[in-house]
Amino acid sequence: MTAALHRPRDLGAVLDLLAGTDDPMVFGGGTAVQILLKQGVLAATDLVDIAAVPGLADLVATPGGLRAGTMVTLRRMETDPLVHDRAPLLAQVYGRVANPRVRNTASVGGNIAHGDYRLDPPTALLVLDARVELSSAAGVRHVPIREFFTGFQETAVGRGELVTALDVPTQPRGGAAFSKLSSLAANDWPVASAAVLVTAADDVTREIRIGLGALAPTPVYVAVTVAATGSDDDAVDAALAAVEPLIDPLPDVRGGVGHKRRLGRVAVADAVRAAWTDTPRDIPREPREEASDDHRLPFRRLRRRR
Amino acid sequence: MSTEITLLVNGERRAVPVDDDDLLLDVLRGLGHTSVREGCGVGACGACTVLADGHSVSSCLARAVRYDGAALTTADGLPADDDVVEEFVAARAMQCGYCIPGFVLMTHELLAENPDAGEAEIDAHLEGNICRCGTYLEIRTACVNAARRRREAAHTEKESA
Repeated sequence: MTAALHRPRDLGAVLDLLAGTDDPMVFGGGTAVQILLKQGVLAATDLVDIAAVPGLADLVATPGGLRAGTMVTLRRMETDPLVHDRAPLLAQVYGRVANPRVRNTASVGGNIAHGDYRLDPPTALLVLDARVELSSAAGVRHVPIREFFTGFQETAVGRGELVTALDVPTQPRGGAAFSKLSSLAANDWPVASAAVLVTAADDVTREIRIGLGALAPTPVYVAVTVAATGSDDDAVDAALAAVEPLIDPLPDVRGGVGHKRRLGRVAVADAVRAAWTDTPRDIPREPREEASDDHRLPFRRLRRRR
Repeated sequence: MSTEITLLVNGERRAVPVDDDDLLLDVLRGLGHTSVREGCGVGACGACTVLADGHSVSSCLARAVRYDGAALTTADGLPADDDVVEEFVAARAMQCGYCIPGFVLMTHELLAENPDAGEAEIDAHLEGNICRCGTYLEIRTACVNAARRRREAAHTEKESA
C-alpha cells in the first residue's frame, strides 16, 4: 500500500499527525526515506512532509554556538560561514557525506534520526557535545547527542516525536581532524570513520575526544586525557587503547570483523595524529571571541580538507 | 492524491498534474526533457541531475510535489552556445553520453559557486557522478577549461566595463 503524503503548514499540524496516524514517518529531505520506499523496506502508513513548516530550516548563532533547524541541509552545514566560524570540524564532516546532490537535499535532523551506525555527522556532533531538540504533542525535550543513538538503527526519538533542531556548542580551541575509510567506492558507506578533537583539559593535560562511525552497531563516543607534553605517538597510543574495547564491527560485504577492526585503528590513528599535530602548544583558555557578521568572509572556497 | 503544480522548466512555465508519489525524474521526462535520465535510482550516479533554483538535485529521489514553483534547469534547456557544453564537446568528454547531462549540470553548479575551482574542487564536486565509459580524465579537462573560460570572460567583462 502506498503511504499517504501529508504536507502540513505548521508544526502543530505536524505533531498532531505524528500523534494521530497509525504508523507515521517524518519526510524531511526525503533522500533516505525515498530510497527505503523504493526498496520496499519502509512500512509507513503516513508520510509527514515537513518542508512547508516555517522556521525549521533556520541556521542561527546562539550565545554558546549555533542552532540548526532540522531542515537545514547538509550542504548548508558544509558551506555556511557561521558553521565554518563556530564549528569548523562540523563543516568539514558534513562535507564528506555522500555527494553534493544528496547534501543539497538531505536534512540535519533526518540524518541523525535515520540512526545509521555508519553516518559521518554523528562523529563530529559527538565530540562537539551537541544537543538534540525533540518535539511532540506533549512538548519539547532535549537529549544529549551522546545519549541519542540507543541501539542498532535505533535512536532516542520516541513515538510521536520528531527532531526539530540541533544545538552545537562552539568548537573549543585546539586541534581537530576527520578520517573516513571506504573499502568499496570512495562514495560508499565507510568501513571506519573517526572525528577527533584535541583540547585543553587543564594547564598540563589535553583531552582527546573521539567520535567513531561504522565501527560498532551505533556511533560511539570516548574521551581520553594525555599529558600536554606528550608526543603524537603518545596521543595515538592512548587513543587506540581507549577505542579498542569499543570497536565492535558488523561484518558485511564491505569487510569482515578483522578488516574493519584494522581500518578502525588506522582511521583513529590518522585522525588523532592530525588533530594532535594541529593543536597549538599553548591552547588559549579564554573563550573564543565571536566574530561579528561584518568580519565574516562573504564567500568561502568550498575546498574540501582531506 | 493528484495536484496541479507549476514548474518553471528552463524558463518556460508548465502547469502539470502530479500524483503525490510522482518523481521529478518521471515528470520531466514526461514533459519531453529526456536529457534527465535514470541510472542507479538511489541518488548515487548523477544521471538524473537537474538544477532546482540553482542547486543540484537527484530527480530520481525527488517528489515532484515538493518542487511546485521551482525554477528547474535540465541539460537540454541550456543554450546552444553554452560554455560548459562546448568545452565538453571540445575535450571529447563522452563516449555513449548517457551520464553527460548530469556532469554538465554539476559543472554549472560548481562554477556558479566557485569560478576559481581547480582540479581538487572539480574532483570533489563531481565525485558523485558515474561514467560507465570511463571518460573521467576528459571530463575533468572539460571542467578545467570551462572554469578558465568563465574566468577569462569575467576578466574581459571587467576590462571593458
